[in-house]
Amino acid sequence: MSVVSLDQLELQLRRLEGVVAVGFVTTDDLVLIEVQAGPAAYDDLARDATVLAAEHVRGPVAVELVRWGDGGPHAPEARLRLVDVTTDPAAGDLTVRLARGDEEAVGRASTSGGLPAAVEATIVAVRAFLPDLAYLPGWARTVETTPDRRFLVVASVTDPLTRAHRRGAAEGATPVEGAVRATLAALNRTISRDL
Amino acid sequence: MTSTDESLVAAAQHSTGLATLYRALDDLVDLYALDDAAVVVDVPGFGRQVLHAGRRPLRTDERGLHAAEPGLYLEPPLEDPVLSRLMLALGTLALRHDAGTTSAT
Repeated sequence: MSVVSLDQLELQLRRLEGVVAVGFVTTDDLVLIEVQAGPAAYDDLARDATVLAAEHVRGPVAVELVRWGDGGPHAPEARLRLVDVTTDPAAGDLTVRLARGDEEAVGRASTSGGLPAAVEATIVAVRAFLPDLAYLPGWARTVETTPDRRFLVVASVTDPLTRAHRRGAAEGATPVEGAVRATLAALNRTISRDL
Repeated sequence: MTSTDESLVAAAQHSTGLATLYRALDDLVDLYALDDAAVVVDVPGFGRQVLHAGRRPLRTDERGLHAAEPGLYLEPPLEDPVLSRLMLALGTLALRHDAGTTSAT
């Protein structure tokens, strides 16, 4: 896996309307590109950034788009939030508790699956709010450990019918927490209108 | 001249504008033992741009750099107006140079 020209990719990303910053995290098996965008960003920015990334990076690449509003009034977007994530080594399971407003739901998965179990448990909890959720758990990978011992994790979920993959990146105090938050980052924008 | 200075000059001679700018930001971080450095520029054809040391993601951008005015942002802060202006100029030139090079090829 390699980036053909990091400078050229960054330059082209910065030329996209509304982009204000571009950052990279490169590991042995993944290039994570963070694109920060201001209020001038257009609807298809994520698609265009992903196309550019795919043209310049040989191998797995994930693009995370962070949109900043203009500070004006916006309708609040419905989101699921993480309440708690716990592991029980004796029982061999992992529990994720999510909330939508005052409502809570729990998802569980076997820890034998490793870090992807966090994605699975999160999907189970999301499905308690959205039984028709099309996405299935994919994978999760810690891509960076920060000097203050926080873990940057990328998680992937897949719609098997459309073969659409959604990836999210997030930090956590543990890899498991990072994986849960990354799964929510992958899903929240897609599912917000149905919540 | 230190090796750091040499590598910065070498970057200016042989690398892209962006690579040179990031080299300069990294040198600043090393020289002053900073926690972080970024420069915000406003360049025609690009608009407001944040260039972060190490090409690192801004993540949650606690410092609000995505909406900051053009300038040099160091953590911890270092009051040096000349340095700020030089880095601002270098960042602006870097993007203008690379845009010109790319469009010319």
